[in-house]
Amino acid sequence: MFYKILDSLDKKYNIEHAQAHCDVPCGIYDPAPAQIAALTVVRMMDLMAGLQGGDDKGKTDYHNSMSRYIAVKEEHAEKAKHEIRVIWGDYFKKDKHPNVDDLVQKIMQLGSKCRQTADRESGLAFVEAINEFASIFWETKGVATKRAKAPYAPALEMVYPNL
Amino acid sequence: MSPEYQEGDFVVIMKSPFLFRQLSRGDIIVFNHDNYGTLIKIIESVLPGGEFFVRGTQENSLNSRRLGYIPRSAVKGKVIWHIRKPKSRL
Repeated sequence: MFYKILDSLDKKYNIEHAQAHCDVPCGIYDPAPAQIAALTVVRMMDLMAGLQGGDDKGKTDYHNSMSRYIAVKEEHAEKAKHEIRVIWGDYFKKDKHPNVDDLVQKIMQLGSKCRQTADRESGLAFVEAINEFASIFWETKGVATKRAKAPYAPALEMVYPNL
Repeated sequence: MSPEYQEGDFVVIMKSPFLFRQLSRGDIIVFNHDNYGTLIKIIESVLPGGEFFVRGTQENSLNSRRLGYIPRSAVKGKVIWHIRKPKSRL
């Protein structure tokens, strides 16, 4: 009875709605986007290191290219962090995978270091930490993994699922 | 927050719960989120700065790991009454 009254009021006055679910629990998770984003970060670092300045026109081109490399490095470092956060927050359960927390924190810090600097060693560590995360992820799925060099620059070793 | 809160349920919120007592762990709040709009979640913990770590009751529901910490200023009120939608009789 009371519900019917509220329902009528809602239809008449459109009571504000709040979402309890707020997301579709689709269950589709994959660390691959994070791995590719981290690889892109190292690629941008390599392009930045290889860029040469020159005359005035060269300088303009230099700054244009450097700006683009930096922007892409920023974007992909943040993207990798975001992808990891989503899997960590929505997929991993704290009671079942307590060690993942430390690894995720390490990934977040390395991702920030990659944004703050052009230090290739940090980029390599970023890729490797996300590889480690991918290994754990696929292990939870009961899927074996293999390590192989990416078939494109910077050709770093990546963790791939044996599907 | 399925199955506690279902589509069509009504809630009554108290907009000034702070006058009565501080919000604490276990309280159910309605708040605004920049990306997800108006949400209902349970307070999992209160941080020293006063922000809230929130979670849902459903296993796959988003929590503050993804939503971020909820500032006190985003809270619209505390749920004080939950009116469930009657189950249809077929």
